[in-house]
Amino acid sequence: MALKERPKPFLLPEYCKGCGRCLDACAKDCITLSDQINPLTGLVPVELDLSNCNACGLCMDACPEPYGLRPAHEGEIEEFELEDPAKLFGVKPSDAPVPVDIPDETLPLPRTEPLVIKGTYASALGALLAGCRHVYGYPITPSTEGAELMAKFLPKLDGTFLQAVSEVAAVNMMYGTAGAGLPTMTFTSSPGFSLMLEGVSYMIGAELPGVFVDVMRGGPGLGNIAPEQSDIKLACHGLGHGNTHAITLAPSTPQEMLDLTMLAFELSFKYRNPVVLLGDGYLGQMTGKVQLPETMIKPGIPKWAVYGDAMHRKNLVSSIFLTESDLEAHNVHLNAKYEAMAVEARAETFLCDDAEVVLIACNTPARTAKGAVQDLRNQGIKAGLFRPITLWPFPVEELKTAIRGAQRIVVVEASAGQLEDEVRLALSKAGVRQFPDIENVRRMGGVLPQQSEIMTRVLGRKEVLA
Amino acid sequence: MSKASVFYDKFERHSHGEGLKGHATHYCPGCGHGLAHKYLAEAIDELGIQDRTVAISPVGCSVFLYYYFDVGNSQAAHGRAPVVALGHKFANPESVVISYQGDGDLASIGLAETVATAQLGAPITVIFINNAIYGMTGGQMAPTTLMGQSSTTSPSGRNEYNGQPMKMAELIAGLDGPIYVERVALYDAKQRIKAKKAIQKAIKLQVEGRGYSFIEVLAECPTHLKMNPEDTEKWVKECMEPVYPLGVKKDVTVDPWFKRNPPCFKGEKILSLAGATSEHPERFCKGFPTHLALNDISLKLAGSGGDGAQTAAMLIARAAINEGFDATHIPSYGPESRGGTSYADVHVAEEEVLNPGSPDPQVLIAFNTPSLVKFGPTVRKGGYVIYDSSVVTEAPVLDPSIKLFPVPFTGIATDLGKAVVKNIVALGALQAATNIFPKDTMLTAIRVALKDKCALIPLNEEAFAWGIKSVEALDR
Repeated sequence: MALKERPKPFLLPEYCKGCGRCLDACAKDCITLSDQINPLTGLVPVELDLSNCNACGLCMDACPEPYGLRPAHEGEIEEFELEDPAKLFGVKPSDAPVPVDIPDETLPLPRTEPLVIKGTYASALGALLAGCRHVYGYPITPSTEGAELMAKFLPKLDGTFLQAVSEVAAVNMMYGTAGAGLPTMTFTSSPGFSLMLEGVSYMIGAELPGVFVDVMRGGPGLGNIAPEQSDIKLACHGLGHGNTHAITLAPSTPQEMLDLTMLAFELSFKYRNPVVLLGDGYLGQMTGKVQLPETMIKPGIPKWAVYGDAMHRKNLVSSIFLTESDLEAHNVHLNAKYEAMAVEARAETFLCDDAEVVLIACNTPARTAKGAVQDLRNQGIKAGLFRPITLWPFPVEELKTAIRGAQRIVVVEASAGQLEDEVRLALSKAGVRQFPDIENVRRMGGVLPQQSEIMTRVLGRKEVLA
Repeated sequence: MSKASVFYDKFERHSHGEGLKGHATHYCPGCGHGLAHKYLAEAIDELGIQDRTVAISPVGCSVFLYYYFDVGNSQAAHGRAPVVALGHKFANPESVVISYQGDGDLASIGLAETVATAQLGAPITVIFINNAIYGMTGGQMAPTTLMGQSSTTSPSGRNEYNGQPMKMAELIAGLDGPIYVERVALYDAKQRIKAKKAIQKAIKLQVEGRGYSFIEVLAECPTHLKMNPEDTEKWVKECMEPVYPLGVKKDVTVDPWFKRNPPCFKGEKILSLAGATSEHPERFCKGFPTHLALNDISLKLAGSGGDGAQTAAMLIARAAINEGFDATHIPSYGPESRGGTSYADVHVAEEEVLNPGSPDPQVLIAFNTPSLVKFGPTVRKGGYVIYDSSVVTEAPVLDPSIKLFPVPFTGIATDLGKAVVKNIVALGALQAATNIFPKDTMLTAIRVALKDKCALIPLNEEAFAWGIKSVEALDR
C-alpha cells in the first residue's frame, strides 16, 4: 500500500509552458499536450489524465517550473479550482529575520610619537585604522607600494589581500566584499583607474561603499609614471556610465593621506557610495611627519549587507531596475544623495582674508603655491592660497569667501586645466558671474609647477601693470 | 517532489509579483535554466544552507535568479561573477557562494576572471549553463556555438574564421586549482539525475571547505535554435554532446583546507606593524638652526641608484622630526631601480614645510660627477656643496659665495670595509659642514634605523665620525 501514500501530480494550466518534458518522463501516458491555447499565458499547456497514474513522481522531477507540476494534497484540487489564479497564494511571511545594523565600534589607541613615513604608507595605515581588512589590487606604478604594504600587513591581521588578474577583476572583488557589507579598498594609478570605471558605475548603482586611492600619473595613454593631476575630471565627472558621482578627496601631505583615507571609509558607508582619494605621484612617495589618531574603527555589518547569514538572507545587491519609472526613482534617490553630500565640502585657506591675488591649487602643487604665497607676502604682495580638499563636491562657498577681495585669481595645477574647469563650473553653478580673470600656471607630462614659475606669473603681471 | 523551500512563496521581485509573474519564471518554454534552478534549490535545501547562501547573478538570461531564490544575492556585471564571488567568500568565509553563469558571461567577456578564479582554487561553486547561444541579447554566436551552427552573427554557420567552440570543462579541469569538474546534461531523466547529483556535490565540497568546483550543464535554448523543446533536446544529445562529452573531468579528494580566522582589530598590533611607539625620542637641539635659514632649509642629495642618497635623505627627515621640527623627503628615480639617476629633495622646517620641492637647494650632497654638474649650478648663493672627492676629481666652478666640501665618501667607506656606508660618511660631513643638527641628533637617527641590525651600528658610527673628521681636516 506504499504507492497509495505518494501524492499524485497537480497542475494549474496557467503555470505550464508546454515544454513537454513531463510527457517523456511519464511511463503511464497520463499526460498529453492540450489542443487549446491557454488564454492567460498564450501558451499550450499539457493536460493530465490520472486514471492510470501510479504516483511515481518522475513528471514532477522533469518539470522546470517551481510552481508547475506539484504534488497534490488532500482536497487541494477542489479548493484551487474555485480560486482566481492571480490570487491563488496569499503572501506568507518569510521566516528570514528583518535585518538590523550591527554598528561600528570605536576603539581607543594609545598616544604615539609621530611616524616618519611615505604618503602611500600613511594611506595604507589609515585604511587599517578605519577597519579595512580586505584589499584587492593589480600592480601599477606609482601606486604599487600600497598593494605591497597591504600584502605585508594584512596576513598579520588575518585580513585578505588578493592580487587580481586585472583592475577590472580587482574592482569587482571589491564589489563582492562591499556587497557583504565590509570595508574594502584598492590602490591604483590612472590607467588602472580607467579600467575600474565599469565597476565603479556598478557600485554606485548598487549603492556599495568602497575606497579608491588613485595615485595619479602622466597620460593620456600609457604616458609615463611621473606625477600629473591627470584624473580630476575622471573622478569628478567620469565615473563610468550613468548619473554617477563620488566624493573626491585631494590630500596634500602624508598626514592627510592618512586622515583623508580614514575619512573616505567613513563617508563611503555614510552615503553608501564609493569615495575616490586622488594623490599625485609625488605625494605617494613623499616622506613626512604623520601623527596617528587616538581611535580606530572595528566595523560592524550594515543591515543592507548580503553577508551570507540568516540575518541578511532577504537582502539583494543589484543595480537592475527594469521599468523606466523604477529606474528613474532610483536615479532621483541617487541624486538626492549627491545633493546631501554637499555638506562634506572641505577647503583650506592660507592668508586669504585680505588677499588681492588668490592662488588655487590642490595636492603637491598646493604646497608649492603655499611657499609662493609666503614668498610674495615677504615681498609686500597680498597673496593667499585657496586649497580645495574635496574636489567633488567642490567647496564653492569657501571659495566665494576666499576670492571676495581678489583682484586676480591664479590656478596652479599639473594638468591642462582640469582643476580650473572645476573652479569655473562650481562658480557657474553657484550663480557667481562676476569674478576676476582666471590666470593659470600649468605643467603637464609629469612636471610639477615650480614656485619660481608661480612667482614669475604673479610678479610679471604686476610689473606690466606698473 | 515538493517545491524546495528555497523558492520564494511569491516572486515579489518579478514585476512586483503581479498576476502570473508571482509564480512563474521568465524563462521560455523548454529552457534549461528552469531545471538547473530546481536542482540548485533542492541542493541548497537538502544541505540546509539557505541562510548561508549568496548567489551571484550575472548578466544573461539567468540574471533574474534573485526573483526566485530566497537566499542572499549579488547581481554582478557581465563576466565578473567569479571575482564578485571571491569578494563575498573572503568577506564571510562561512557563506556558501554560488556563481551561476551563461556561456558569454563565463567564456567570453569573463574568461580571464573565470580562469584566474578557478586557478586560485578557493572554495566557491560555479555552475555554467552552456546552451551554445546568446539568449538574452537575441541569438548571437557564443564561444560555445558549434561549428556550422547558425546564429544571428554567424548566419551562414560558424566557420573556422570564427574560431572553434570553447570547451570549458576540459579547460578548467586542466588547472591545478579546481578539485571537481563535471559536465552534465538535461535532455532525459537519466541525465537529469546526474545533473542534480553533480550540482549537490559541487556545493557540498564548498560547504566542507575543500575547494573550487565547476559544473557545466548542456542546456536547451529552443527559442534561438528555432526548434520545439523536444527537438532541442534531441539536438543537445546528437549535436552538442559529441563536441562536449559528458562526464567527470576531474575529481580529486582533498582534505578541508579553507580556514580563515576573523580579522584582528587590536590597536597594539597595528601600531606594532607601523613601528609606532610612545617613546619620546631624545632631543638635542636648542632651537631651529637659524644660522642656515630663518625657518626652512632646503637640501638636495643626488647620485646613482645604489649610492644611498634616498636613505641619507630619509635619515635627515627623521632626525628633524625627532627634534620636533617638520620635514619632508621626496625621492625621484629614473625608471631603473639600480644604476639610474636618483635624487632626493629634503626640507627641514621649524613649523610647517610649505613647498617640499628643492629646485634651488641651500645644501647639495653630490655622490657623482653628473649629479654635481647637473645640480651644482642650482645651489643658492651662500649655500653648501658637499661632494664625493673620491669620484669627482675636479672641483666644480660655482659662485664664490658657495662653500665647497670635497670629502672622499667612497674612499673612506671602502677603507672601512663597506662601500655601502658612504652615505653615512656624507651625513657626518653634512653635520660638520653646516651644523644643521648636533652630532647626537644624527647618530640617534642612525641607531634607531639600525635597531634591528645592531651589529651594523659601530661601523655606521665610525663612518659618520670619519665624515666629520674629513670636513674638520679641510683648510678653512
